[in-house]
Amino acid sequence: MSTANPESERASPSWFNRFWAVVRYEMLWNIRKKKFIGVLIIAFVLASVQFVLPAFLDIGPNPYSAITFSAGNLSFVLFAIVIAMNSISGEYESGTIVPLLTKPVSRTMVFLGKLFAIFVVLVVTYLLLFTYSTIGGFIVYGAQSDLHLLPLAIIGDVISTFIWIAIILAAGAISRSSLLAVLMAFGLFVALTFGTSIVASFSDNPDLVNAMNYLPGSGASGTLNITTGQNITISNVTINTLASVSSGTDSIGVNLVKLALFPDANASFYYRNVLSTDPTQNIRLLYTEPLGWIVARSILVAFAYIAVFLFIAWFAFKRSQIQE
Amino acid sequence: MDLAIETQDLTKRYGTLTAVNKLNLQVKRNTIHGFLGPNGAGKSTTIKILVGLLKPSEGTARVLGKEVHVDDADARLNIGYMPELPRFPKHLKGAELLDIYGRMYGMTQQERSEQIPKLIDIVGLKGRENDFIGKYSKGMQQRIGIAQALLNSPEVVILDEPSIGLDPVGMVEVRELVKEISKEGMTVFVSSHLLFEVEQVCTHVTIINKGVALVSDTLANVSGMLKGPAMLNVEVAELSDEVVQAIKSLPYVKETSVSGNMLNISLATGDDVRPQVSQQITQAGGVIISMNLKRQSLEDVFIQLISNQKEAKA
Ligand SMILES: Nc1ncnc2c1ncn2[C@@H]1O[C@H](COP(=O)(O)OP(=O)(O)OP(=O)(O)O)[C@@H](O)[C@H]1O
Ligand SMILES: [Mg+2]
Repeated sequence: MSTANPESERASPSWFNRFWAVVRYEMLWNIRKKKFIGVLIIAFVLASVQFVLPAFLDIGPNPYSAITFSAGNLSFVLFAIVIAMNSISGEYESGTIVPLLTKPVSRTMVFLGKLFAIFVVLVVTYLLLFTYSTIGGFIVYGAQSDLHLLPLAIIGDVISTFIWIAIILAAGAISRSSLLAVLMAFGLFVALTFGTSIVASFSDNPDLVNAMNYLPGSGASGTLNITTGQNITISNVTINTLASVSSGTDSIGVNLVKLALFPDANASFYYRNVLSTDPTQNIRLLYTEPLGWIVARSILVAFAYIAVFLFIAWFAFKRSQIQE
Repeated sequence: MDLAIETQDLTKRYGTLTAVNKLNLQVKRNTIHGFLGPNGAGKSTTIKILVGLLKPSEGTARVLGKEVHVDDADARLNIGYMPELPRFPKHLKGAELLDIYGRMYGMTQQERSEQIPKLIDIVGLKGRENDFIGKYSKGMQQRIGIAQALLNSPEVVILDEPSIGLDPVGMVEVRELVKEISKEGMTVFVSSHLLFEVEQVCTHVTIINKGVALVSDTLANVSGMLKGPAMLNVEVAELSDEVVQAIKSLPYVKETSVSGNMLNISLATGDDVRPQVSQQITQAGGVIISMNLKRQSLEDVFIQLISNQKEAKA
């Protein structure tokens, strides 16, 4: 302590150095808590499901298996929960927020440091997951094509997942409870999933169907006017896997890849009346839109949700008083 | 006047409860200032406002001449703070925690490699610095809490009950440490509810109760005020009636009682009269084996101070 020198004020350290110290603080937590391993186990289990499908279904070689891989909507929520649930609320719960916020780091710095660490964990997770799914694709579905498009698929999944991360951070910063943050995010996911499947199954109103594209989730389901692709037959119905398209925020990655492959494709959205026996009423076209617009809209919608929820999280964190 | 900490009409309310009520605090630079009060007096609340964790409901606080705001990162560069019962990330090792906090202070690699082992040694954690904090005992967490408060060689160190949870040796060590850092030019503001602790280290004292400062002065002046009647327990071999009568004749002796060899004397003065009492007993033919002066506890003093305050108001 001989360095104590009250006459000389400590010079203000650079913003970046302090930010980096927060990132270090966060990353050590992520690694030590064996988070990576937990997240990866979930990832590999989910990814493995598609590799056992050929055993049950009539599926031949599929050169697009790797680039059309996506962690999937449930995984987005699960990854977001595992990676972000403790990030802010855990700091309140453990009381470590007190020594942290009395260091010369601003709350914005802490917030951005946490966000950055979450981003790193998520990207590393998806890199490993997509590597696994690509190798699996080769083994199960034969030679894979257009692998240079894989980064688009990964970026898309990262964006899709970040909507849920932003929601969890906002819920955690407001409630200061990891459990509540998880319940809120998962509750919202379940409600949205149920709500949109009901609309998708029963509504023949094009506006209502289209409105689902503005909620986080799978959006509307339609068909692309393309002829390439792999056909699977389930109970005598043949589907072209490459042509089926979902227009919501969950499908950004897959749709980006398809847009790169078929830049001029259009998607048509149909109403299928499963109850009617009248063949003319059975399937009706609701609307058609270009794939390019679907991708642009879903990215804009995703970024809007991410921005709004991250802002709420940041604002709540910034304004919080530490009372405990 | 050069003040390290200054508050003006500082008030903090939690709903209808006023935890801190128009507090005017002045802590001079280079002093060891004790912040004394019973549980719930508002000590921690005041301190949390000073370090920018809480926003005051009314009034202002200044530390090192700068008004305190919540989330003013640069203001904290020259402040060291040890929270009450601090809790640190369990997954970090003691030395790692100090290293990361050091980076937040902008300390260079060299500064950190000099300062951290030194602090670990000073707070008595040598040999345990590479253990996870999750495996530390309560007292060890308290010690790492003291180390992190001194990490940046701050101008002001604010310690919220630093000796809670420490063993007797640890308590003495903390007192010595506080004196030591004060010698190096730091201002120390330390809260406590232990009168003897404050008496042994502080140069200045503020006593707070129910959010109101009752007194704030140098230790000498405050102790003078607080000195109330005391009990003197003397163990006397050959305790005769003469001895008891001799003691009773002293003007400042209020009452006496005898149990076995123990002579319990109730004093009407706050002065230390042990020499006179001892002389009196010896002259009356008694042989003193031990003598024990019991001053009033802080609790008693508070009750007295508070009732004084109420009477003054009435
Ligand atoms: N978050 C809170 N919400 C409501 N009341 C609070 C809160 N924190 C403290 N209080 C109240 O404010 C008063 C002052 O509390 P404070 O923690 O400042 O006391 P203290 O002097 O530090 O006591 P102790 O010696 O027990 O640490 C108490 O009556 C307490 O109940
Ligand atoms: Mg307290």
